[in-house]
Amino acid sequence: MENHNAECTCWNCPAIDLTGKVDFRSCGQSREVFSQGSIDDSEAHIVAECKRRPKLGLFDPMSVTFAECPEWKLTPYGYLLKDMRVMILGIDGYLGWTLALWLGSLGVKVTGVDNFSRRDWVKERGARTVVPISRMTERLHATKEVLGIDIEFRETDILNQRNLLREFIEEIKPEAIVHYGECPSPAYSMIDLDHATFVQRNNVLGTLGVLFMMRDLAPESSLIKLGTMGEYGTPLTGRPLFEGMFPADAVLHWEDQEWSLGGELTPRDPGSFYHVSKVQDTYNIYEACKYWWLRSYDVMQGVIYGVHTPQVAADPRLRTRLDIDEWFGTVINRFVTQAVIGFPLTLYGAGEQIRGFIGLEDAMQCMTRLIVHPPEPGQYDVVNQMSGFYSVRYLAETVARIASREFNLPVIIQRVENPRVESDIHPFKPIYNKLPARFGFKPKVTLEDEIYRTLELLTQPHVKERIEEKKHLILPRTWWSGLKKQVETLEVIEEIKYEPSSKTH
Amino acid sequence: MSQVVRLTDRNFDQEVFQGKIPALVEFSASWCVPSQQQKPLLEELAKEYRGRLNIGELNVDQNPRVAAEYKIMGCPTFITFHSGKILQRRIGAQSKKQLIESIQSAINSH
Repeated sequence: MENHNAECTCWNCPAIDLTGKVDFRSCGQSREVFSQGSIDDSEAHIVAECKRRPKLGLFDPMSVTFAECPEWKLTPYGYLLKDMRVMILGIDGYLGWTLALWLGSLGVKVTGVDNFSRRDWVKERGARTVVPISRMTERLHATKEVLGIDIEFRETDILNQRNLLREFIEEIKPEAIVHYGECPSPAYSMIDLDHATFVQRNNVLGTLGVLFMMRDLAPESSLIKLGTMGEYGTPLTGRPLFEGMFPADAVLHWEDQEWSLGGELTPRDPGSFYHVSKVQDTYNIYEACKYWWLRSYDVMQGVIYGVHTPQVAADPRLRTRLDIDEWFGTVINRFVTQAVIGFPLTLYGAGEQIRGFIGLEDAMQCMTRLIVHPPEPGQYDVVNQMSGFYSVRYLAETVARIASREFNLPVIIQRVENPRVESDIHPFKPIYNKLPARFGFKPKVTLEDEIYRTLELLTQPHVKERIEEKKHLILPRTWWSGLKKQVETLEVIEEIKYEPSSKTH
Repeated sequence: MSQVVRLTDRNFDQEVFQGKIPALVEFSASWCVPSQQQKPLLEELAKEYRGRLNIGELNVDQNPRVAAEYKIMGCPTFITFHSGKILQRRIGAQSKKQLIESIQSAINSH
């Protein structure tokens, strides 16, 4: 479904100014005009004015589709606005840098900001990315030299240098803003009061500032904001984890009456103070769309893994970071790292926790499809961005199988105390239909393929050496309870079973 | 191919009043999350009741004349019509059971 956005119209297009009878009414709020009976058509309708083709004058925003408009060109991911201006907040990070190169290779005019805080947070914990990455100046130079792409970068803290971000947005007038500019670590937020305060302030207030700037400077731009599947928690009832809101046929029965819950935000059950910051973001964005007709996709991303896209693999200077420490390393990446250096793969508690996952390359595909299919004015929508779900034990067994069979690495798995407050064993029923059904997303990379590619990179001597130097940071010591100690081993599983029973999907 | 008719200020009278069967119209808005969540259900019902009742959706911001004429005060609002008359009006998100009640009532009205 490459043409998922063919029928979108100027109503969705960020290159359109809407004029005429544009009001900012919320659900259930009356308009004075209703009491006056009929209204004059010529003054009442919303009309469009194309910023790229002002000679067209005023026209009905529903009258031209993306497929018909010469400004939208067909790509493998749907119609893409020619030279679309996309600003990435957090462009130096694992996802931000990867997306910048991915979009640039499609002809998008990429701009971005970062204050290099991810590098600082990791350094503060005594860790570092095990895949070497270049300084930003060298990254930009290599991008031009290897891929022929110009990226415009500004060093900016989106919370504490709002004036700089404001100036940059005003200058660029982005047609989409991708917001990766937050601290992404549950464990980092649970270290102590200072870290919890920092994460919530950085994430929530940074994003709040972005929303006000969009209201004032780029209300027709869309905000593609990174949330997390972790916002939902794992309800023990097994209730489906809908995509942000209840569908209309979800009902509340109470005292012999029935109400549709359609459109109401589903309950959230965040699992750390970091997750709480993401939930607060969700409410702030939801409100901003309601108050100001901003447009946003709130992306509930599953746990990310992998190292590969064609662009980052094109040159060592273009590689994106890969963290393995307990604060910033994600589970599959960490398991691969452990397998590479003969460190037992660590399951927390029973190891039967189930999560949604998505590979790096598939995540880039999803983000591209969302960018080219902008929400309608005022539309707030949520997508669950994942390609499958697995138990942590199944993942460890899969990494162990590939590492031992394909790379001849001896692997054992161990269970350790779980430092988190979470259910070790629970049902999990995520709903993740929107990206495939509405945006044409087709997962391209299998779990096994991406684990293989990650092993290929991490077994290279210069990377393996960097892992060895930081392996003392792999085992967790940040307890949700506030305990200060490293976790104890509960069980060592020497024999790897290649036919695990705990695969769920 | 959507089975839900996109209604506008221009085609509303023709689509809703000139047919021989009743119609269910959702007055919706892009900014209204409950309206957006009704779409899959309306598609399902439009297929199920094809030939017996038409289902349409009208965006109140793009089509203010009809929205004003029916004094739409909140979204979504559902109105069933037949032979030029309003049969029933429901405000707010509706469950499948509630919509079927409205639809059956409209079908049985003639």
